Amino acid sequence: MSSPGSLGHSGQDHGGTGSVEPVPAVAFNNITKTFGAVTACDGVDLSVHRGRIHGVLGENGAGKSTLMKMLIGLVLPDSGSIAIDGTTQHIQSPLAAASLGIGMVHQHFSLVDALTVWENVALGEAGKLDPDAVRNRIGDIADQYGLMIDPDAQVGSLSAGLRQRVEIIKCLRRDPNIVIFDEPTSVLTPDESVQLFESLRHVVAAEGRAVVLVSHKLDEVLHATDDITIMRQGKVVDRLEAATADAPTLARGMVGREVSLRSERAALGVLDVSADPSDSAAKPSNPNDSAPVLRIQNATARGIGGVALLDDLSIELRAGEIVGVAGVEGNGQRELGDLLSSLLSLQSGTVSIDGVQVPDGKSGAMARAGIGVIPEDRHDSGIVLDMSLAENLVLVDQSAVARRGFIDGSALRDFAEKMIDEFAIQCSGPDAPMWSLSGGNQQRVVLARELSQQPKVLVAAQPTRGLDVGAIEYMGQRLEAAAEAGVAVLLISSELEEILDLAHRIVVMNSGRIVGEVDRADANLESLGLMMGGANA
Amino acid sequence: MSGTASGPRVGEWVVLYVVSVLAALVLSAILVQATGGQWRPVVNALLDGSIRNPGRIGETLGTAAPMLLVAIGTIISSKAGLINIGQEGQLFVGAAFATYFGFLIGGPGALNVVLILIFGAIGGALWAGVAAVLKYWRNVPEVLSTLLLVTVGGQLVAYGLSQSWLLLAPLADRGNRNQVSSQLAEGNRLPRLEISGNEIPFAVFLGIGLAIVVSLALSRTVWGFMLRMLGRNPRAAQRSGVAQTKYGATAIMLSGAFAGLAGAAMLAGGGFAFGNYQLVPGFSTNIGWTGLLVALVAREKALVAIPVAFVFAGLRTGSSFVGATGVEGRITDVIQGFLVLALLVPPAVMFLRDRKRARDAATERT
Repeated sequence: MSSPGSLGHSGQDHGGTGSVEPVPAVAFNNITKTFGAVTACDGVDLSVHRGRIHGVLGENGAGKSTLMKMLIGLVLPDSGSIAIDGTTQHIQSPLAAASLGIGMVHQHFSLVDALTVWENVALGEAGKLDPDAVRNRIGDIADQYGLMIDPDAQVGSLSAGLRQRVEIIKCLRRDPNIVIFDEPTSVLTPDESVQLFESLRHVVAAEGRAVVLVSHKLDEVLHATDDITIMRQGKVVDRLEAATADAPTLARGMVGREVSLRSERAALGVLDVSADPSDSAAKPSNPNDSAPVLRIQNATARGIGGVALLDDLSIELRAGEIVGVAGVEGNGQRELGDLLSSLLSLQSGTVSIDGVQVPDGKSGAMARAGIGVIPEDRHDSGIVLDMSLAENLVLVDQSAVARRGFIDGSALRDFAEKMIDEFAIQCSGPDAPMWSLSGGNQQRVVLARELSQQPKVLVAAQPTRGLDVGAIEYMGQRLEAAAEAGVAVLLISSELEEILDLAHRIVVMNSGRIVGEVDRADANLESLGLMMGGANA
Repeated sequence: MSGTASGPRVGEWVVLYVVSVLAALVLSAILVQATGGQWRPVVNALLDGSIRNPGRIGETLGTAAPMLLVAIGTIISSKAGLINIGQEGQLFVGAAFATYFGFLIGGPGALNVVLILIFGAIGGALWAGVAAVLKYWRNVPEVLSTLLLVTVGGQLVAYGLSQSWLLLAPLADRGNRNQVSSQLAEGNRLPRLEISGNEIPFAVFLGIGLAIVVSLALSRTVWGFMLRMLGRNPRAAQRSGVAQTKYGATAIMLSGAFAGLAGAAMLAGGGFAFGNYQLVPGFSTNIGWTGLLVALVAREKALVAIPVAFVFAGLRTGSSFVGATGVEGRITDVIQGFLVLALLVPPAVMFLRDRKRARDAATERT
């Protein structure tokens, strides 16, 4: 809080270049952090200045959250140093961070629903509780930053936007010099987002605090920040000033990995290098000819506080084609998968298979209609860890191994052994408990089960997440084979390469909507990146 | 992997159980000594009262039977991931149903006994059904509603026992007591089988038979498969076509039916603790709670519940002999508590270990 204004202004001229600087509020110097084999941050340099909003842009897993966790003492760096106002600090705990004036507004709320606003704000304070003082302080902050709120409202009854407001007040009450916002708009409606950024401006303008905005949304980084740092795979790939940046540059910086996986696959000889994208037109399916197998029409679903999870979403899928659903995570892909797994009910809209409407949210209805699903999180709805491998292979349909209501143990074993062979599942046998299998093999069990049902539609949501290269190849081959056999495949993935590798047609999701559709042949990373960021929806 | 792991794991189980049961026994002995008794005579009294004296095995078996029935029901609901802890009330309401309809239908004969048992089961199922309705209609956690319904059920039956148009016996049959139902006629009682001086109530065979049936149903049938899926991963079950409302409500009501059946069997079986073939206030005498403990210790295995129920019944029948040693008979309640804890510690330890292994396996793969 020491005469910050002048520092902030003098910093403006130099923006993001990070070369000739006044003392920054926060300076990360050559920070590296690894978790096992994964390098979350790799020699990161980053400076944040007072009086400015610094946007840190990157995809999921780019290392931005890890970096911020180091700043608030949740994670310790392996090497490198962090300087606060020019002094090198070892931030060992959130308490230490708080004493240095660093506060964070977390992506996921840490509020107690049953308590009122002022009680939540007072939580964690030491000493005697003075309700009136807390209420007054909330009133002051509300006036100062335009964060109006009723201190006596119960938090559980508030909308997501207001809850976030409580989080922000909670953070500001401690008078931090440096405020970090982690994906603040992921749970907000557009209106609430606009309000948030207005109050953010106040925080900076009024008192010259330093603000870090962590985000993967192009639009908000472009419009709400002053300086932008783009991270990818643990490294800083670009530093820009918001005033001079444009969305295509940001998109390219965020997703531009043109050469990685695709070339690797080509080198391994798995991918036919000559398979030009335009080949996709020559695939057996000609999208315009056949009737769609799966048709989702105007699907709308809302979550708590009225946030649109799916917003008037329509997709058509034909037999034999792979349609890739691209998009930054958290834009409704999970809900799309849930819808097709009978785990989500729609407020309006329909799902139909071969022209017959399938009731949404009715247990088992989607599966019976012929929709196979490789879920985003297999532990969530894909497998039952406490049941055996063999049982997991017949979760959806036991008819092949059941007679008169009884499960035929030997038929089940035979079926399981067949699947173990066919899908090369590594295990101790059909009776192995599911939890004893590795992630890749659990995924194969899911794949084996869903394909053995001979589905009309196969939904593969983030099917290769957490798998090694070999398993990724295998999954790709299986999906392609399924499509060739006439299955309509919906590939939901946040890995653009995966989609570009496999899909014939690509749709892009943003905020629960389909914001664009391109043929594989016409797709390029930049336009996809733009659409993913919601820049020209 | 699990094949090679099972060998040493059996050893681990045995060691864990032996150590923790020994610890419980030592603690119990210390307790007896500390309250002015001698542990040796107390142990002898327990054994005499439960198995050694003539006819006591029959009593113990007769006491074990309703505990076992309650436990079987509890296992069904917990397989489906539901926590029914209101068996005490479901048992009492079941017994009241059995009493009411037993006298309404009247007449002698075996058919009437069967009907009494069936009405007991229906009563228990309906009472548990209240919790099911609250859960699936209004999202009330069944663990709360089943528990609270114990109290409500007790009051309702007590009211029934005060009204002659409901359960209260006619003045002539009441003697000097308030709030008792009439006695079941001779021909409306469950038969007993006499084996070497022990009278073994029919309910014992019913309990063992049903334990086998339920064990098979849960492990071998498609229905049991669905129920287990629902219990272990409700979201996978929802996608796979296991309607939570249908299967969950069935499981809760079935578990209530077993508790109600236990109540009817106590009514029609009579014997040691269960009075004189008539309904009285406090009729359920903690059999519901103890049955719950049996299920807890048997850990979702209906067949394991058979010996566990016998042990718990033995503590109960044995405790009536403990009073003669000068030690407070209720000390066996404390011993029972120790024993329950002792039997629950090994599964808890193994569970934590399994989970750790699973977690290690999970982190290994990423």
